[in-house]
Amino acid sequence: MKNRLMNALAMCLCLGAGEVYAVQGITLNGFMTAGAVYSDTNVTTLGGSSAGGVVSQDGNITNSVGFSNDSRIGIQISAKVNPKIDVTGQLLARGREDNYSMKADWAFVTYHVSDPLALRGGKVKLTTFLISDYIEVGYAYPWIRPPQEVYSSNPISTINGVDMLLRMNVGDFTFLFQPYYGTSQGAQALVPQEVVPGVPTLLGGPVPSVAPRSFGDVVYADFTADRMAGINLSVGTDVFTVRAGYLQTLVSAPAFGVREDDVTFSSAGGTLDWHNVVLYGEYFQREIKGFANRAFPNQKGFYTTAGYRIGQFLPNVTYAKLDKNAQTGDLGIPVMQTSVTVGLRYELGAGAALKLEAQQIKPEESAPGVGTRGLLIGVPEDNKAMIYGVAIDVVF
Amino acid sequence: MRMFQKSIFRGVVLAVFLGTTATVQGGMAVIAHPSNSLAGISQEQLARIYLGKTREFSDGKPVTPVDQRQGSAIRNKFYKTVTDKDEIAVKAHWSKLLFTGKAQPPQDLGDDDSVKAWVAKNPEGLGYVDGKVLDKSVKVLLILP
Repeated sequence: MKNRLMNALAMCLCLGAGEVYAVQGITLNGFMTAGAVYSDTNVTTLGGSSAGGVVSQDGNITNSVGFSNDSRIGIQISAKVNPKIDVTGQLLARGREDNYSMKADWAFVTYHVSDPLALRGGKVKLTTFLISDYIEVGYAYPWIRPPQEVYSSNPISTINGVDMLLRMNVGDFTFLFQPYYGTSQGAQALVPQEVVPGVPTLLGGPVPSVAPRSFGDVVYADFTADRMAGINLSVGTDVFTVRAGYLQTLVSAPAFGVREDDVTFSSAGGTLDWHNVVLYGEYFQREIKGFANRAFPNQKGFYTTAGYRIGQFLPNVTYAKLDKNAQTGDLGIPVMQTSVTVGLRYELGAGAALKLEAQQIKPEESAPGVGTRGLLIGVPEDNKAMIYGVAIDVVF
Repeated sequence: MRMFQKSIFRGVVLAVFLGTTATVQGGMAVIAHPSNSLAGISQEQLARIYLGKTREFSDGKPVTPVDQRQGSAIRNKFYKTVTDKDEIAVKAHWSKLLFTGKAQPPQDLGDDDSVKAWVAKNPEGLGYVDGKVLDKSVKVLLILP
């Protein structure tokens, strides 16, 4: 089996891009994004610590041209075990992690109970948004990166567990009913800059394992999510899709003293591709209880994208907002910003697209004295940040 | 629409009646294995099968559709007629489905002869070929203009 896979892989590499290679029920497909990103924002020193020219909170977008933020390559291997069972795995290497080391993004076995009903088990993609399923496949959506005001709100992209796909065709409509249950281990959540300086003590007392931090430091919290139960519902035709989802889970981050805090996450959205008109819109809100709330505050956000196809060009504009989702007794400091993105997608034949983008981000102050940072670092108060990007997306 | 269906029906009848020697002038034939028991197939069902929305024929039997070479005139014409999508729209459709692991696009088999040969050997097979290459090895389910 392993040999066969290796052979298939070797042959595919010889045949090169553009070929979908299938041998004895094994199929290989791939996707790639090569992107460059640049911010011309003046970055200042904050809280006594230099932000070092870093603009995005995860440190990947800076005010010099960078290639790591959006670049990635993925290979998907599917094998048909028998008419009812197939196995699918996806290997992914990102420019921003460990210099393109490959890791298994997901891998699962599908049991096709009947035509409309499939059960999947293993490491499955967590569908919290419209494009969560194929978020790494840049070719499949109009932007260079999906609007971060919404898409950065859920740091979990896959779960270990099971899901059920019940898809029913009624006339032109396809209804999807997708409940899931599982856990997430080893995910990392970016600690917002608003709370970074308070990190060692913010969880109700000094945490010896956590070093003191200051503004500009990029801090990730390793966390697990247990007993995650959720549902994804959608209805659509070839022209539009409307979806809604809800999940609840218990989050633990032992290094930060967080133990089984309740988290709920709701989202809804829709997309339309009608004649030359392309529309996207999504909304989310999350509620995080207990200590976890101090580092990961309650938030809500939305975006809308409108585009119009002119031949091979798809000019588009996006407005997005990340906002507080205030609850009584909140301890955390929410992250707030709005942004406007103007983009252009150009089709380079079937299976490849070139994208250009300019985004203006306006951080907003969520609490007095905290300063305005949004999803950025080191952008002076009342300043707007510009981020420019160019990317080529390919599927093969 | 009704007229159109009627003419398709006539095309099928003609093809079946004339058997394998029928040459469908400028037409495209949707073909299946000779053991396939269906009398025909609707464009709607074809679209569902070729866009990965179902894995079955209308009688509940499993189907494995195959494609002609990407970029070929016959493939583009087939998708435009059946799904009203051009090459880029079809690619975009599959890039959303394929990389979620929910469905696999039809295998790309190349030209008329290889599609016909493959369908002739596979009871679940479904393909489309130029009407000129039809022979006894496959069953015609639909003639497209």
